[in-house]
Amino acid sequence: MLNKRALHAYIFGLFAWALAIILSLKFGATSDADIGVIVQLRLPRVLLASAVGIGLSVAGASLQALFSNPLCEPYTLGISSGAALGAVFGASLGFHWIFAGLTGTAFAGALLFTALLFVVAHRPGITTLSLLLAGVMLGFLGSSLVALWMALSDANGIQGALLWLLGDLSRARMGGALFTLGTASVLTLALWLRWRELDALLMGEEGALTLGIAVGKVRASLIFTIALLVAICVSASGMIGFIGLVIPHFVRRLVGSLHLRLLPLCAIWGAAALTAADVTARVLARPYDLPVGIVTALVGAPLFLWILFSRREAS
Amino acid sequence: MSSPVLGAYGISFSYGRTPVLKDVSLELERGEILALLGPNGSGKSTLLKAIAGILPLKAGVVRHRGEDFLRNTPQMRARAVVYVPPDLHAEFPLTAREAITLGRSCHLNPGTFRYYRSSNDRELVREAMERCLCWGLRDQDLHTLSGGERQLVALARALVQGAKVLLLDEALSRMDLNHQATMGKLLRELTTEGSSIVLVSHDVNLASEWADTGLLLRKGQSVAFGPIKTVLTEENVRKLYPGSELSVGASPATGAPKVFFGTFQS
Repeated sequence: MLNKRALHAYIFGLFAWALAIILSLKFGATSDADIGVIVQLRLPRVLLASAVGIGLSVAGASLQALFSNPLCEPYTLGISSGAALGAVFGASLGFHWIFAGLTGTAFAGALLFTALLFVVAHRPGITTLSLLLAGVMLGFLGSSLVALWMALSDANGIQGALLWLLGDLSRARMGGALFTLGTASVLTLALWLRWRELDALLMGEEGALTLGIAVGKVRASLIFTIALLVAICVSASGMIGFIGLVIPHFVRRLVGSLHLRLLPLCAIWGAAALTAADVTARVLARPYDLPVGIVTALVGAPLFLWILFSRREAS
Repeated sequence: MSSPVLGAYGISFSYGRTPVLKDVSLELERGEILALLGPNGSGKSTLLKAIAGILPLKAGVVRHRGEDFLRNTPQMRARAVVYVPPDLHAEFPLTAREAITLGRSCHLNPGTFRYYRSSNDRELVREAMERCLCWGLRDQDLHTLSGGERQLVALARALVQGAKVLLLDEALSRMDLNHQATMGKLLRELTTEGSSIVLVSHDVNLASEWADTGLLLRKGQSVAFGPIKTVLTEENVRKLYPGSELSVGASPATGAPKVFFGTFQS
C-alpha cells in the first residue's frame, strides 16, 4: 500500500502541516504574545483551520470522483449557498445563534439544501449528470437570494455578510474548533471507508456498475456524507474557496487517483494548506485580519494553472 | 442436453419511446463463443448491455445457471458475468495496472481496508496483463495509451474480475491485426478453461473466425440464431444489409464462413 511516492507525500505533508501549525501559533497580531493569548486565541484558530482544510479537500476529492468531473469542488453542489443564505439572513436580522461554534442559521440553511439534494438523488432513474446540474442550479438559486438580501440590507449587514462569504477563521473558539475537528474527522473516515466504491466510480457510472457497485445507493449515501461535511465546514468558517479544488488535484499528481491513498493525503495536505494560508493572511495584513478566503484564492488560482499546464506537458 | 450457462428470453428494450429490441432470445452453452452480428443500430450492443444489467429491460428475463440473473446485487453479477466495454476511460490519472486492479473490487467487501494488492491479487493482475500483452504498459497512464492498447487493458481487467461469462462489446475492434489474432486465440483458450463468451462485432468476418454460434440482428429483431455456419448464409446476410451486393464463401484456411461485399465483375 505504501510505495515510495506515497511515503514521501505523507512525510512532506505532515512536515508542512506541523510547520504551518508552529508558525501559526508563533505569529499573529503581535509577535510577542504570552502563552494565554496563544492558547486562547491562536490554538482554536489553528485547530479550526486544520479541521476545515481536512473537510474541504476530502469533500472535494470525493465529489470529483463521484461525478467523474475534475471541475467539481465542495461548493459545486450548492450546499454552501444554502449556508450562505442562512448566515446572511441570520446576521442581518441580528440573530446570532451559535451552535457548537457553527453559525446556527448557516448550518440550518446548509442542512435544508442537503435535504433537497438528497430528495433529488433518490428520484428513480436520475443520472449523475442531472444530479450534478440540479446541485449547480440549487447553488444559483441560493446565491441569487443572498444577493437579493444584500441589496436590500444596510452597509453593516453587507460588511458582515461579505466577511462571511470570503471565508473567515477569526471567530474560532476552542469548543467550536474541537467540535468541527471531531465531526470533520469522523465524516472523513466515513468517506475513506468507501474507497472501494470511489475507486470504481473513477471509471464512470456505467463502469462502476459493471465492476459490481450498486451505483444508485452508493451515490445517495456518499452525497449525504459529503454534504454534511461541507455544511459543517462552511458554517464554521464561511466560504473558503479553492482548497477543495486545488488540493485533490495536487495530491493526485503525487500519488495517483486511488482513494485508499488519496483521501488521507488530501486530509493532511488540506489541513496544512489552510493553516498556512491563515497565518499568511494574518501576517500580511498585520495588525488587521485579512479574510483567509482571499489568500487561498490568490495563491490557489496560479497554483491550479501550474498544475493544469504541467500535466498537459507530461502527457 | 446440458442446460445453458446464460440464457436471455424475450428481451425487449426501448430508449424512451423508441423500441430498440423486440423479443430477442439467445442461449449460451458452457465453453461456447456466441457472436452478435448485425448492421449499425441493429441493437447488438444494447442487447449485450441489457444482459449485463446496465440497461433496464422492458420485458424478458436473463437466466444465469437457471437463476434470474438481474435480481442479484451488482456485486454478485460482477462476479458471475463481466462486461468488457469498447473503451476504458477515466477522468483522472490512472495507470494501466491500477485500472486492472479495479477488476478485483467485486471480490472485496464494502468498507474493508484490505487493499487489492494482496499477493494473490497482485499475481492475478500480472498474469492477466501478460496474457493480454500489456504488462509492458503497466505504469503508463490510461490516457497516454492508444485505443487498441486500452482494449488490451480492458480485456486484462475482465480476466482479473474472474467471471466465467464474458460479454465483449466491440472489445477487439481497435486492436491491430496481430493483437486481434492473439486475443482471438486467447478467447479460444479461455473457453477451454470453462469460460463462455458473447461478443459483439461489426466485423462479420473476424467474428465468424472465432464464433461457434451466431445471432443475427436487424432493427432490434432476431433474424437467425444457431451454429455460425448455418446462420451466415447468403440469404440471411442479405436480410441484414438489404440493397448491398454481397456473397458468402468459406475461408480457405479455416473453412469459416466469410462475407464478401461489393460487386465482382467476373
